Amino acid sequence: MYQLIAMYATVFFVFLLALAFAFVYGESKRSGEYSAIQEKGYKIRKFYFLGLIAIMAFATIMTLGRLPYDRNQAEAEGFSEPKVVKVTGIQYAWEMSEERFEVGDKVQFDVTASDVTHGFGLYNEKMELVAQTQAMPEYTNTVYYTFEEPGTYQILCLEYCSTGHHVMVKEIVVEPEGGSSDE
Amino acid sequence: MNDAIHPLAKKAVIWHLALTALVLILMMIFGVIMLMNQGEMISITPQWFYKIMTAHGTGMVGIAALGGTAILWYFLSKYVKLNPAILIVNLVLFLTGVTMVLIAIFVFDFSDGWTFLYPLPAQSAKMYGAAGAVFFLAGMLILGIGFLLLYMYLAARLTAVYGSLGKALGWDIIFRGKKGYGPPAAVVATAMVIITNSTALLAGATVLAASLVNIINPAITIDPLLAKHLTYAFGHIFANCTIYMAVIAVYEVLSEYTKRPWKANKVFLIAWNCSTLFTLMIYTHHLLMDFAVPKWMLIIGQVFSYANGLPVMVVTAYGALMIVYRSRMKWDFASSLFFLSMFGWVAGAIPAIIDATIVVNHVMHNTKWVPGHFHTYMGMGVVAMIIGFMYYFNKTEGNQQHRGIDTFTITLYFAFFTGLVGSFLYAGGISAPRRWAEHLPQWVLSDQVGAVSGIFIVLAAIIFTARFFAGLRSVGTKVPYNKNSAAG
Ligand SMILES: [Cu+2]
Repeated sequence: MYQLIAMYATVFFVFLLALAFAFVYGESKRSGEYSAIQEKGYKIRKFYFLGLIAIMAFATIMTLGRLPYDRNQAEAEGFSEPKVVKVTGIQYAWEMSEERFEVGDKVQFDVTASDVTHGFGLYNEKMELVAQTQAMPEYTNTVYYTFEEPGTYQILCLEYCSTGHHVMVKEIVVEPEGGSSDE
Repeated sequence: MNDAIHPLAKKAVIWHLALTALVLILMMIFGVIMLMNQGEMISITPQWFYKIMTAHGTGMVGIAALGGTAILWYFLSKYVKLNPAILIVNLVLFLTGVTMVLIAIFVFDFSDGWTFLYPLPAQSAKMYGAAGAVFFLAGMLILGIGFLLLYMYLAARLTAVYGSLGKALGWDIIFRGKKGYGPPAAVVATAMVIITNSTALLAGATVLAASLVNIINPAITIDPLLAKHLTYAFGHIFANCTIYMAVIAVYEVLSEYTKRPWKANKVFLIAWNCSTLFTLMIYTHHLLMDFAVPKWMLIIGQVFSYANGLPVMVVTAYGALMIVYRSRMKWDFASSLFFLSMFGWVAGAIPAIIDATIVVNHVMHNTKWVPGHFHTYMGMGVVAMIIGFMYYFNKTEGNQQHRGIDTFTITLYFAFFTGLVGSFLYAGGISAPRRWAEHLPQWVLSDQVGAVSGIFIVLAAIIFTARFFAGLRSVGTKVPYNKNSAAG
């Protein structure tokens, strides 16, 4: 979902920007007195500035309440007794304390690395990135995810970790709620 | 024809630009090779892919810094007397560093990326031998020392002429209510770059030296999270500063073309002071996925990354639009590129700001979205500024004229650069990871679009460069400067 919002927002704002530049280019062929242009330009700029601040403040308020790794927030979302899974990245594999999940599982991934920094990227069956954190030696980063759809999920390494980086993939299976399928 | 500039400095600027132009083409070709491999149009080994990736990343940022330095030096010389020896010392140290980095990559197979996240170089050193890592880290260190010396010299010169770096940033106008305008934009920008980039270089030197020590004596370790902070404080600020150096040309040249002054008024100075402060802080948005970092620091990473867009969007880019509006300016090679470069800078800032939002970052960090945004403001911003300056230099110091082919090349470059960054951003949107030697079938199409775009970008760059070198022939020869008489 955030990917789509990001793509549409980018196209929209870049389009507006291109319009502004095209407009000024078109107007560059006429002449005008600069001090008058400046006076008017500074007035417009005030509104432009306040507009940008408003957009940024709105985005900040809307998003900072949804930090993907906030313990308190995870608890509010029903992670009071999560399924804790220990994940360790090592050149070039993922070690996990548990590999089979069910739909509805609220999972707390405790992610670390035993050699160099890796990136824990959780992809769903459609190969959309749904959650990530860094896998860093000496530290444990915790990320929460609730499996809502069954299927084969994959963990891809998302931080460059040397020449086997792209083979560092692990499949995990999420089964439908309440029972295993034999597929 | 600018007589304020020392003849030796002019020569040094030419060397900088010539080197920049050639390395740019080579690095672009490296980029195309990577995309073609990901797009399954050619096949190279992963080892080679990552070697090329390391060279491309290191080389592009390094060469943007070199081009930016040439711009800074050229325009600053109009206001402050500078000793060209320092510029040449920097160039020599730069070349030494680059040579060592190339030896590391292509002789000793170093391929840990230009981010060289600790303890990766040490780990690779164990597997592939220490020489590669040591050459790379030491090369980067020497290169950094060159820039640090340059900034220390510039700091001393600005202090001598303006009283202090604070005054060069207009503090007496902002805080003491002094009336009038601040120092020229070139001076303000230089002061900003001195402060931010010296900090970056010291952070970089610390982590580079610590990594080297760790390779030589593994008993001495560093904290990986601290090392990551230092690495990004170095890399992010250093890459940012390439823009803040190159933008000096935009101020100078657009103001010259439109015959309108671009003076450092109070808002301008406040904007540059904000950029100074924010540029120092926002590297933390590289650590948004390190939840071990304190929460407040991550929130700062988001809020100040947003805020850092404001000075450029509201003051610099807006100022460029205002100065060009109804100016009857002559659109030639240089003015077109500088105008478009402001578009590229802001257009790149938009996906960057969106990515600095933690919830977005959570599903887009280290996807191709990230190279998507920085290729926008590096390729369509900084590089456009540097190429624009190459032509401006030849026109001012020689007699280069705008031709039809230049209009064609500019169109070619910007059209296909839009294709390139569009393919990157799209790939990021469908979760394609960055820095993967091989791609899954669903990502391959975007790579192919990127590769084809890249080929045309290289073509444009070759024409730019050929025109630049052809124009250089007239530089310094005592051709009558009056263009009417030259045209006969
Ligand atoms: Cu990895």
